[in-house]
Amino acid sequence: MNTTKRGTMTGVLARAGTMATLTVISAVVAPLLPSSATAQVRMTVPPQSQPIALQGATIHTVTNGVIENGTILFNNGVITAIGTDVQLPAGTRVVDASGKHIYPGLIDAYSTVGISEIGSVDVSSDTNELGDFNPNVRAEVAVNAESRHIGTTRSAGVLVSLTTPGGGLISGMSSALNLEGWSWEEMSLESAAALNVNWPNPNPRRGGRGGGRGGGAGDAPTYEERVQELKDFFAEARAYRDAVAAGEGVRSDSRYAAMIPALNGEIPVVVAADGAAQINDAITWGQGEGVRIVIRGGRDAIHVADRLVSENIPVILTSTMAAPGRAYEGYDGAYSMPARLYEAGVKFAISGGAGALYTNRLPWEAGVAVAFGLPEEEAVKAVTINAAEFMGLDDRVGSLEAGKQATLLITTGNPLDMTTNIEQAYIQGRELDMNDIQKHFFEKYMVKVRQLRPVVF
Amino acid sequence: MLGFTLFLTAGVEAQQATRTQPVTGIRDNGTGFHALVGARVVTSPGQVLENATIVVRDGLIQSVGRNDQPPAGARVWDLAGLTVYPGFIDAHADLGMDNVPEGGDVGPTHWNPQVRAWFSTTMNFEDDEDRRSALRSQGFGTALAVPKQGIFRGTASVVNLTDDGVRDRILRPDLVHSIGFQRSFQLGGAYPNSPMGVAALMKQTFMDTDWYMRAWEAYEASGRAFLPPETSASLAALEEVVQGNQPMFFETNSEEEYLRAYALAADYRVTPWFRGSGQEYRIVDVLEGRTEPLVIPLDFPDAPDVDNPERALNASLAQLRHWYLAPTSPGQLSGAGVRFAITTDGLSSLNEFLPNLRIAVARGLPADDALAALTTTPADWLGIDRTHGTIEAGKVANLVVSEGDLFNEEATVRDVWVQGKVYGVTRPAQVDPRGTWLIASDDEWGFEAELRLEGPLNRLGGHIDVTDGERIDLSSASVVAETGRIEVRFDGEDLGYEGTALLAGSVAGDEFFGWTSLPNGADPSFQGTRTQAFEGAARGTVAMNVPEIDLPFIRPMMEYGRSSIPEQPPAVVVRNATVWTQGTQGRLENADLLVRAGQVAEVGIDLDAPSGAVEIDATGKHVTPGLIDVHIHAGVSGVNESGFAIVPEVQMGDVVTHNNIWMYRQLAGGLTTAHVKHGSANPIGGENVFVKMRWGSLPEDLKLENAPRTVKFALGENPKRRQGRYPDTRMGTQEIIRDHFMAARDYEREWQRWEANGEGIPPRRDLRMEAILDILNQELLISSHGYRADEFLALIRLAEEFGFRVQTLQHGVEAYKIASELAASGVAAAVWSDWGAFKLEAYDATVYNARILMEAGVVTSLHSDDNQISTRMNWEAGKLLRTGLTEEQALSTVTNQSAQAVAIDDQVGSLEPGKDGDFVIWSGNPLSQFTRAEQTWIDGRRYFSLEEDAAQREEIERERTQLIQAVLSVEGRSGR
Repeated sequence: MNTTKRGTMTGVLARAGTMATLTVISAVVAPLLPSSATAQVRMTVPPQSQPIALQGATIHTVTNGVIENGTILFNNGVITAIGTDVQLPAGTRVVDASGKHIYPGLIDAYSTVGISEIGSVDVSSDTNELGDFNPNVRAEVAVNAESRHIGTTRSAGVLVSLTTPGGGLISGMSSALNLEGWSWEEMSLESAAALNVNWPNPNPRRGGRGGGRGGGAGDAPTYEERVQELKDFFAEARAYRDAVAAGEGVRSDSRYAAMIPALNGEIPVVVAADGAAQINDAITWGQGEGVRIVIRGGRDAIHVADRLVSENIPVILTSTMAAPGRAYEGYDGAYSMPARLYEAGVKFAISGGAGALYTNRLPWEAGVAVAFGLPEEEAVKAVTINAAEFMGLDDRVGSLEAGKQATLLITTGNPLDMTTNIEQAYIQGRELDMNDIQKHFFEKYMVKVRQLRPVVF
Repeated sequence: MLGFTLFLTAGVEAQQATRTQPVTGIRDNGTGFHALVGARVVTSPGQVLENATIVVRDGLIQSVGRNDQPPAGARVWDLAGLTVYPGFIDAHADLGMDNVPEGGDVGPTHWNPQVRAWFSTTMNFEDDEDRRSALRSQGFGTALAVPKQGIFRGTASVVNLTDDGVRDRILRPDLVHSIGFQRSFQLGGAYPNSPMGVAALMKQTFMDTDWYMRAWEAYEASGRAFLPPETSASLAALEEVVQGNQPMFFETNSEEEYLRAYALAADYRVTPWFRGSGQEYRIVDVLEGRTEPLVIPLDFPDAPDVDNPERALNASLAQLRHWYLAPTSPGQLSGAGVRFAITTDGLSSLNEFLPNLRIAVARGLPADDALAALTTTPADWLGIDRTHGTIEAGKVANLVVSEGDLFNEEATVRDVWVQGKVYGVTRPAQVDPRGTWLIASDDEWGFEAELRLEGPLNRLGGHIDVTDGERIDLSSASVVAETGRIEVRFDGEDLGYEGTALLAGSVAGDEFFGWTSLPNGADPSFQGTRTQAFEGAARGTVAMNVPEIDLPFIRPMMEYGRSSIPEQPPAVVVRNATVWTQGTQGRLENADLLVRAGQVAEVGIDLDAPSGAVEIDATGKHVTPGLIDVHIHAGVSGVNESGFAIVPEVQMGDVVTHNNIWMYRQLAGGLTTAHVKHGSANPIGGENVFVKMRWGSLPEDLKLENAPRTVKFALGENPKRRQGRYPDTRMGTQEIIRDHFMAARDYEREWQRWEANGEGIPPRRDLRMEAILDILNQELLISSHGYRADEFLALIRLAEEFGFRVQTLQHGVEAYKIASELAASGVAAAVWSDWGAFKLEAYDATVYNARILMEAGVVTSLHSDDNQISTRMNWEAGKLLRTGLTEEQALSTVTNQSAQAVAIDDQVGSLEPGKDGDFVIWSGNPLSQFTRAEQTWIDGRRYFSLEEDAAQREEIERERTQLIQAVLSVEGRSGR
């Protein structure tokens, strides 16, 4: 058994390497820097090839409590044992994690990581396909495995992304991605995890008309017309499914065919809705369609809380760090939303909200809720098991349990707080290269600082 | 109420000896001699003569007296039962002199088409007949006709509202100049396109006028020995204004524009008059004691839409309060002893005037004060008080004849007399059809019924009870005045028909002959007899139509507004906290902070506090300096002046707004000071402003005292993406900046030469050039927006070429790439924690930016450039912990280093003796995502605490609930 300490990058970046004071920085920091800037930005590592045991850590299973001084053992990418008395098979590589904490990898239930690169550069974005009805498009095929954002997202502890298309009334399929792999194919955890619907706005500004399509006000469809279009599309899709099932020789339609798992309740229908009336109408519609819906957005969810609870409809919050929607709501209108929903008994997940570029802010989106009243363990659930459960991934990820994938974090504390560090991550047992573009620039330009500083060591 | 055309010609006609225009054809001379008898005459506010006689002769009032016998020869007008008021005067009337010539103004007017001071409403007199007639219908006989186009709009003239020819209508030509803060799009021109640009243009134009006079003087004095200065009709027209001889009438559209106009006028020694905004109730305390003419509109807002629960959720307290309180504004001014006049300007329809006036009276404006605001006060200000404003012998015969009390009843204006000419407005009702009538028809549709007509005459209503027990509701009925005919329409469904039924009838005494037209084509006629007369007032009275709600004064007038500025205790001591001094004392555990008279006195263990000090137990808490954000755009009424590429003359300090909910949220997150920036549309943008979050203060009091002056520069994508405006590249950006630096040096040399020899045309003070000189002299510090290393390096080297230093780079996504160069040049950096990749030039962002900069010795601050993020700068700093900074180093990027970066570290940024008493008490480590601010203090005053916040939420909830109920209780949502 060989005991290793995770090396290079953590050495540079851990708190041990902090600047003690600005006056003596050269002496303190310089020796810790790599001698040259030859490091890879981010190397993809091979699949797990030997059993690994992380020992001595506080293990936050999320679903089965906290294990102090425990061991977690995983092999072939899957957790095989967790506890304080775990038998290690021969050939196990033991990692000393004493004093550390182990959490499941965080899951962002709504992101565009991989399909969107630079905000204002349109051609770098593959999020929105043309037209109102695109149930057949799947995010994963457009994922750039070399995207800079993948590395920074992982460094924040986010290891699984529900990368999601946007636009239109039906945007397409979210793909669940493991954020490690040479290609989207290797990264794919679930190709079509959820169907995405954008609920129209029933309360457009006075003078305009309803819809969600924008464009000229004169001929824009009304709210009712938009809802009807959606209903019609679902009715057609259902008819298509039934005709195919009945063996009718219908002509193929990739859009309706793509709808079938959602119609059959095999995958959720995620409905983007923020306003109280929007959420209410979306729920009514979902019941009529007999599909399993998840509300995404949920700015006014607290006003619909009773119904969300009684209908058992979960919410993916997208804006816990957003500005309050209304001046009277209080400065913490968004910050305190998770706590208020929790009090009310609504099930919710928290997503990164700010899009691809900032999926790495997911921990803060959940952490802020703690400052405003949400129990810490509930905040962790909101970015792990809840997200996994709503999106049908809880058999594989979202908690630390034997049989689930070894997608986890070694940290110095709660990963949702800035005062802790995330030291190492594993995805399906693969021990990740924790470098990313931002650390790469750090190393490279610290070299410049040293070169140009007129000091002698 | 409909106006109709003059129904008789009476009054003065051409007097032979004093007119220039020959009469063509036969002269038309009425006697112009009238006696108005029997009316109740309100001769001036508070003065009433019952049963008075007014004798009018040749346009003037010859006499007015109680029970006077009409003189022989006068045409006698029996006004028994009517009320007569002095004719109203509108001191800021929009009579529609709005036409802009196609292709714009011609001639040497001004380079900027928005400067139209040359325009004269006298010389370009062209009022709109419909507006004139509509004004008369509301009781007006005199108006100040103001021009409406442009920023400098030209001169306003006092005119009468007769239908006479233009030469007979001008009372006081070109009395006052008119100016407004909104540009006219019809006039064109790129600059200014922002409120601060407008203010800058105003200042420059005042200064240019001064120069213009001196320039021409010098030219004439030289014996025209050199080429003349430029000619500008607009600057020439403003000469009397800048000398204080001719007032400048500022049209304001918010209470903040009023404050801005007041300050501008004071700075440039202009005599200001103000057209108010209707928001005066928010600054009654400021207006109290001021004597400049103030003319307020009666444009009361519609009620917010609360038609369904979600819309009700969206109604803000600010909107609801404004709806409820705006009609109380005139009454509040009156109560505070502020003198004002009332104008029709700003109303969407002139027909709203009298109804709104009555609402103002019902909501607290004494009727006498209302009358004064329409007569004596404007007459005084317009300099026509010798002739106008009251009903007195010798004054001009401008009279309003009304059926009832115009201020307290739904009275109709019968006639308006202007200069002895009578203009009919409504015709008197000849009959009173109200009462109970038995009506019967004996034709083929035969029926018997009881008809009931009731209510005030102007809002007749009633019903028909058909014999079979059916009741037909007559919700509206009207009397056609001179024929005594009444007309009613009602829903035919009451009779079993789909459609609308019509009923008309003629009344003669107690007899009624009527006919109907039913939806099925039948048209039965009927006869009726009055069995009972209706006992009730002929006119509706006007009462307060909204429920009484207790809405204490708050500032700003919105959610979380305060009733007053928090007190400043002589001393405050915070005990037993972890105190992050961010100064030489470092971070102290179990320490005390002592603040005296608003300033930090001491930090230490077990401090002695003066007796009477406010003691705060902060055991387990953390205390830090108030946080600083060195780059936000919240709290100003405009951000970008993009009309020119170079605009350092515009000043954000002119447009600071206190109606800014973000300020409260920032306080709640521990922010106490911010650098509010001009936008990034220009290589050289405007001058920035520092504010402190003194929530509840007026704009001027929000500014940080003794702050350094800084100016916005912008590099990279933003300044070059404005189409059709130089520059289009980073190369051009560099060159246009350089060219302006050189231009400023040339400007300086021209001044020096002239000051030395006084030869030629004196140079003018150019605010833009002066600002650039200040930049070159490092008195106006550069705070430059940019992303890439190359563009920053170019600017820094350019500044060095001109011998000065760039103060701060802002955003600086690639600042880390030139960290060593920045350190060597002494340039500070303000960067984001983790923003990046939102545009191409932000793609190389790294959260390690701040750390690399600090390693290289650069003064490094974080900033938000974002309203919401500015409310949580502690967490922005917290994000840096994972880059390896210590906690105090991380916090320094939002406190002491921030202050240093923008050169305000002599006042704020650390808890050191002598610094401002700005501090935050946190529930725990301020860098933890799990921590929140509990109290925020500025200048030793507690501006935020969780307890106060909770209490305010309850109060807001109460007010919103009551106000929404009030909206719902008011029919038709007009709320008026």
